[in-house]
Order: sequence, then structure tokens, then C-alpha cells
Amino acid sequence: MKKDLDRKIWTYTVCIIAVGLVALYSASYENVRVPHSIFYDQLIFSLFGLGIMYFIGKLDYRKFYDAAYIFYIINIILLVLVLVSGRHALGARRWLEIGGLSFQPSEFAKLAVILMLGRYFSDRHPTLSFDFMTKAQAFFLNLFMPFTMTAILMFFIFKQPDLGTAFLLFGMFLVMLFASGIEYRYFFGFLAFCLALVPFGWHVLEPYQKDRLLVFLNPNIDPLGAGYTIIQSKIAIGSGQIFGKGWLSGTQNQLNFLPERHTDFIFSVLGEEWGLLGTVLLVYLYFRLIQNILKIAEQVKDRFGTLVVVGIVAILTLQVIINIGMVIGLFPVVGLTLPFVSYGRSSFLVFIIMMGFLLNLSKRRTIF
Amino acid sequence: MRLKIIRLVIIALFIVLVLELFYVQVIRGQHYYNLSLNNRIRIVPLEGWRGRIKDRHEKVLADSRISYNILVSPQDIVNIQELFQFLSQVLGVDQPTLIDAYRRKKFTPFAPVAVAENVDRQKAIKIEENKFRFPSLMIQESFKRFYPLERSGAHVIGYVGKLSQERMKSFKEYGYSPPSMVGYSGVEEYYDDVLKGGSGGIQIEVNNRGQQVRLLSIKEPTKGEDITLTIDGEIQRIAQELIEGRVGTIVVMDMANGEVLGLVSSPAFDPNYFVDHKFSEELKAILRHPLSPLLNRAIKGQYPPGSVFKVIMALGGLDSKKITQYTTFNCPGYFQYGGKTFGDTCRYGEQNLIEAIAHSCNVYFYHVGLLIGADLIHKNARLLTLGDLTGIDLPYEEKGFIPHRRVYLAARKSWYAGNTINMSIGQGDILTTPLQLVKMMATVANEGKEVQPHVIKRIGESTVSRYDFIREVKLDSKIFDIVKKGLRAAVTDQNGTARDLNMNEIFVAGKTGTAQSAPNKDHHAWFVGYAQGESKNIAFCVFLEYGGSSHNATALAKQLLKLMHEESLL
Repeated sequence: MKKDLDRKIWTYTVCIIAVGLVALYSASYENVRVPHSIFYDQLIFSLFGLGIMYFIGKLDYRKFYDAAYIFYIINIILLVLVLVSGRHALGARRWLEIGGLSFQPSEFAKLAVILMLGRYFSDRHPTLSFDFMTKAQAFFLNLFMPFTMTAILMFFIFKQPDLGTAFLLFGMFLVMLFASGIEYRYFFGFLAFCLALVPFGWHVLEPYQKDRLLVFLNPNIDPLGAGYTIIQSKIAIGSGQIFGKGWLSGTQNQLNFLPERHTDFIFSVLGEEWGLLGTVLLVYLYFRLIQNILKIAEQVKDRFGTLVVVGIVAILTLQVIINIGMVIGLFPVVGLTLPFVSYGRSSFLVFIIMMGFLLNLSKRRTIF
Repeated sequence: MRLKIIRLVIIALFIVLVLELFYVQVIRGQHYYNLSLNNRIRIVPLEGWRGRIKDRHEKVLADSRISYNILVSPQDIVNIQELFQFLSQVLGVDQPTLIDAYRRKKFTPFAPVAVAENVDRQKAIKIEENKFRFPSLMIQESFKRFYPLERSGAHVIGYVGKLSQERMKSFKEYGYSPPSMVGYSGVEEYYDDVLKGGSGGIQIEVNNRGQQVRLLSIKEPTKGEDITLTIDGEIQRIAQELIEGRVGTIVVMDMANGEVLGLVSSPAFDPNYFVDHKFSEELKAILRHPLSPLLNRAIKGQYPPGSVFKVIMALGGLDSKKITQYTTFNCPGYFQYGGKTFGDTCRYGEQNLIEAIAHSCNVYFYHVGLLIGADLIHKNARLLTLGDLTGIDLPYEEKGFIPHRRVYLAARKSWYAGNTINMSIGQGDILTTPLQLVKMMATVANEGKEVQPHVIKRIGESTVSRYDFIREVKLDSKIFDIVKKGLRAAVTDQNGTARDLNMNEIFVAGKTGTAQSAPNKDHHAWFVGYAQGESKNIAFCVFLEYGGSSHNATALAKQLLKLMHEESLL
């Protein structure tokens, strides 16, 4: 049984990576703007990543518990550094360069939030402690504190500006809060409060973010500017129809109509060249992976482990749904990658670490 | 429990996602497929090679040369500083100018921006060689018009320019169709459809930048036709040199067939300024010039003809039999009518028609005017097609204006004898264009045979004959002989107004005019005449706007004829 879950995680991860490499090969095929070298870059990094996944699977996952807060604080420092001296790309500061290595701390913030919330919620046992606390204390310790700690990271990421990741962290917080066992009235009360704040949030947005949201509502208001990407991406996916145009034959892709097609919009390359068959296959692989992760969560008897697994499920699901949704025009363009498939080392590494963590848990879950 | 809820939510989300994929890829699939075809297939119009314009001796007046435009595709720029440093080094233009042009014209990241136009071949090759370093660079071939005559040919030839709306439209299609050149003014405009030829196009598969990936089909544009003008480039040059620095016009026409040999208007402009962007400052100066150099004064300028109009008066008097060649009037130097005094410049005493024309006696023609009346003056002016378009094959010609007594009365304006008297010496409201007077003079010299002024000689290889017709003016043909005697006397008589033009080698006759213009301004100076040389008989006009006395015009006319004679053009 346990070996079986382990193998499934490995299988689905490797399958998804393989599908991603096939798409990336095509996205970078015979093209100047997206050099073909990124395919090999991703290929080598994938092999390296699978090694890391194996290595983390061997580590005692309680070390993550110990390191959770330290990792969280290091992450805050990195995010501040990004704002101070980060590298500009595409109108935002998201990259940090240390010793020749450049990476995106906002990607690692996902990991930091999962570990931090996992430890915080597992240290507290809301249902048990209620009798000994006033409601105000319970509210403060069970909702206000964890939210503030998440919000600090969200704030720095929002400042970069990276609305997508900030929103993602918030979604993850909600799911983990829900899983922590907080009373429904607190949970839904908090949700209602946040929804009420949405109209005020509009003023906080950068002009380009407002544009994107408006363009999302009607891409044709700016067909050559902000709406261009979404229109071209929809055309690409839709024109693939059921069987696709064939590998390396997508006109939208090969003729360069798709911007960012190796990163955020890689799914439209797949949709154009492999059609509905390709897209549903990939979605199915994600679905099976997530279902198996949830099985781990159910079997782990350790509270920290369960919460972390729920966090991983949350981030994986949200990122898959939002990325594919934005590519087919269901969500605004927020710049979230497709896990394991989009080109980009930081994002890839973070999800690989998460998978390694799962392997670790699935191995040790019977200990408790 | 809570994990179950999470699991259910995730299942629901994935079902929605798959349904949405099904909707986009299957139900709407065909629609998006068609859109993807539209995306990649594009028709690029091809500009044909514009025909050349040549003078009567096959000398080229307007040439089409191949030139190169340098485009930058904004989204492909890797290092903007390096790129512009390289461009400024190769093109020899300073960096801020290039960057400024780039910023001004940048429209979307996908549309290439022309940072330099009309770059010569050497530089284009150098840029082409470095394209691998700067993938954002593109080179576009286009035709550049070149006018070797520069200022001398401006008003006859015209110039070419881009159609601005056309350009905007092409930008909308991610900007890759060559903006088509259209003729403005002159022959370039009048014969634009002949010169530009048939447009062609290619159907290409393009990438997102509109760059060609594959050629699907091609339709070659047809080459525009060369046209040959009746204009003589040498005469243009001589005339332009003579009138340079003054305001006015010189028109020289072959009186036998109406072929315009020379036509200059001053101030002139260099049509090359419109072609090359490096002349934008000069072009601005032209457009702001108070004397409007773009105006072709020979056909669009309307001026009172002054004493030149006395030719019409003499013809009218003779045709109506109210006077003969021998009718005399006394000129005391002034003329009184209805309590008003009308002046004259000299006091000649008794004189006949020939002498009156030669001396340009106002009083004589006041008498003639009152004898024949305003209606007949109008009729005769119209018979010689004053107040009418000459029909020359150049755009924007003006009609001039011959006042009509009955039209005035119908408009509840009064018409006094004073109006008639003023009209008799070409003043009042009369307006004519210099070309109209040349045409009139040719009709007189041809004794009633009216020719059609035109500038076209051949289109391609076929001779244009539609202007080769002669119209008989409905006037007694004998009276022209008498008027011609007067016109010759103006040159030969020792008191003749055009006595400067008395030359042994060339037979010249004609009429001077000093037309009053606006108050406080100098008079307009006219000389309209005809000359018989060894090879050609010409009718011509020298007109100086606010040029003062007609002696200024006759002096210029003499130089013109002399130079033409020396160059054996006459």
C-alpha cells in the first residue's frame, strides 16, 4: 500500500514533466525569441530536480518542522532584498541575484507559507483550547495571527508587483485555515469580510493590473496591447480542436503569435498542437496526482504532516486551475506558472521540493 | 471530514475545467481555427515601380531609385542602447534623433517602426550584415523619387508623398504594407494613374510580427509607364535662373501646337524635400513661407491683366466695326467722364489704333470701351477663353474672372460707365491667369486659330494626340493682322512700351501691362508676347507679382529670349 502511493507520486510527476518537455520542445523549436537551448536547460534541470526529489524523500521531514519559522524569516529578508535590489524584468522586480544564481523568492514564499502555517496550526489545537480561552483570544490566536504572518509575505510580493502569487498565498491560507479545523462561523465570517473589502482593493492596484482586469472582462478593448496575449492564446487552444494540429505544427505557436508561450502560456501550445486529447490528458494527470496526494493527507496521522499536505494540494490545485483558466480566458492574466510544465527553475524547484516532502511523508506515515 | 469537502471541491473544479476545455476546443473550435488562419495569412500590397517623367529631349525630370528603409521591431529589441549606438554609427545620425523617431512612431510592440528612411545601398548592406547581432532590425525596400531639376521643375512636375490615412491603416494590420506614394500637384498628380502602374501583392504566411515566413502566392505589380513631356528642361533651367529671387512666373509655349516648353513659378521649391525626411526643416520653411512657394502662379495665380487686356479691346473694336485701323482719338493725358477724371501716363495727342497699342494709350481704349460697351467687352474676352480654364493637363487650375454687367445687375450691384472704362484697360474686377494670356496671345499670333496648351507629349511609347486640335475663334480673321501690327509696333516704335525687346536676331511682338493691384502695393508687371525664332514660334509671358513697371518684365523677357537664342532653343 505505502509503496504503491509512493510509486504513483513518482509516476504522475514524471509523466507531467514529460508532457511539459514535449510542449517546451515545440515552443522553442526553430525560433529566435525563445531559444531552443531552454529545452535542454529544462531537461537537465528536470533530471537534477528528480534527484533532489529523491534526496528530500530520504530526509526526516521533522527537520522541516524545525526549520519552518527560520525559513519563513529568511524568506521575508529575501523578499525585502528583492524590493531593494532585485532585477527588473517585464515591469516588475521579481528576481534576486546571489552569487551568479538568479531566482524568484516569491516562488519560495509558497513553501515558506505552507511550512509556517503547518507548524503554527499544528502547534495550536483550536478545538481543544477553546474552553480555556475567551472568544477574543481564540480569534486572535487562531485567525488573526496566522493571517498576519501570511499577509506580511503577501504584502512584499504584492509590492513587486506580483498580484498572482499574492492572491495564491491568500487562497492557500484559506484552504489551510479551513483544514485547521477552525469553526465554520469564523471561517465564513472571515471570507465574507474579505469579499466586502474587494471594492477597496481596486485602488491599491497598479494601472497595468487594472488594465489586465478590464481586458479580462473584454479582451477586445485593447487587441494589440494587454488583450493581445489572451486573444492569441484562446485562438491557439481553440484552433487545436479535438486532435490538434500536430506536434511542431501549431501555427500560433511556430509563427510566434503566442507571447510567453514557454512560461505562463505553455498550456496553449499543448492545446494547439495536441488538441482536446492533449489538454485533457494533462488535466487528468494533474487530477490523479492531486487525488493521490489527498490520500496521503488522509493517512498521515501527524497534524503538521496533514496540514502541509493540504497546503501542497491547495497550491497545486489553485495554480493548475488558475493557469489553465487564464490561458482559456476564464481568469485574468496574473502570471502564474503551470506546475512542472512551464519553463522556469524557481517554480520547478519549489514543486519538486513539495513532491519530495510528500514522498517523505508517505514513507513515514506508519510510524505514528 | 474537512478533507472530504476539500476533495469534493477539487473534483468539481476539475470537472468545470474539462467542460470549459471541451467548449473552447470542440464547440468553438472551428471558429478559433478560422481565426488562426486569418492570423497567419496576409496580403501584402506591392508598390509598383513609378514611371519616370522625361522632358521633350528624353532628359529625365523625375526618376525612381531604389532605396532602403530601416525598421525596428520593438518586441525583439535585446539591448536598446547597443542597437541605437550601432544604428547611429552606421547611419551617421546622432542617437537622440533616432531614439526620438523611434519613440514617436512606436505604436504597439508588434508593429515595426521605421527609424530611418531612404538609406543608401552601402549603409543598408552594412546593416543587413549585422542583422544577426540585432534581430530586431528589418530592412524594407522602397522606391525613392528623385528630381534632378530641383527647383526649376517644381511646379510642372509636382512631387510625391505618402498617403497618410493609408499609412495608419497599414499600422493597424501590424504595419507591413509599404505606404503607397501618391503624386501631389503637377504632372505627378495629373498623370498619377499612368505613372504608378498596377499594384500587385503577395500572399504570405506571417508570424506575429508580420514577418514573412513562407510565400504562398504572388501577383507582380505592373511597372508604371514613363511619360514624356513637351517641357524643355533647358528652358526650365534658364527661366528659373532668371526669375530666381523675384515673385512671378514665366510661361513659354509653342504657339503652333500648344506644347508648353517652359513653365516656372517663383518662389519655387525643391520637390526632393518632400521625398527625403532629412529635409524636414527645409520643408517646414517652404510650408510656412509667406509667399507660398507651392502655388503655381502660372495657372492658379489670378491677377488683373492691366494693359495686356487692350488686345481684347482692339479686337472687339475692330470686330464690331466701331473703329478701324485708322480711327484716331486725341489723348490729352487724362479722360473725363461723368465728372470723374481717368488718368493716363503720357500725353500722345492724336493717334490711331496701331500707335495706341504701341504706346499703350489708356485714353484711346477708354473711348473704344465706351463705344462697344461692357457686354461686348465681356463677349470678346470670353471668345478668347479668358475667364475659362485653359484645360492644360495640370491640376488645380483657376478660371480667373471676367465681370459681366448683367450678372452684376442681377446681383443688385450697380454697373456704371466707370466700370466699363476701368475694364477697358484691364482693371476693375478682371482677373486672369498668366497661362490664359499666353493662350490668348497665341490665338492672336495664329490669326484666330486657338491651340490647346498642354504638357504631355508621350505616354510610354504612344504619342498623345488628344490635345492636338485647333479651334477657330469666331472673329473676323483680318482684324488679327491689324492687332499684330500694333503688337509689333510696341517693340519697334521708338516710343513703344516694349522697345527693349527690339532685337535683330528674333522677331518679337507683344503687349506690356502695368496692372494696379492692392493700394499701397507695387504694380504687377506683365509682358505677354510672341516671338519667331529660327526653329520655333513661341507665345510667352513674363509676369512679376508686385514687380513694378512693365519695364522690369520686358527686361526679363529680353534676357529670356536672348539666352534661349544663344542656346539655340529658339
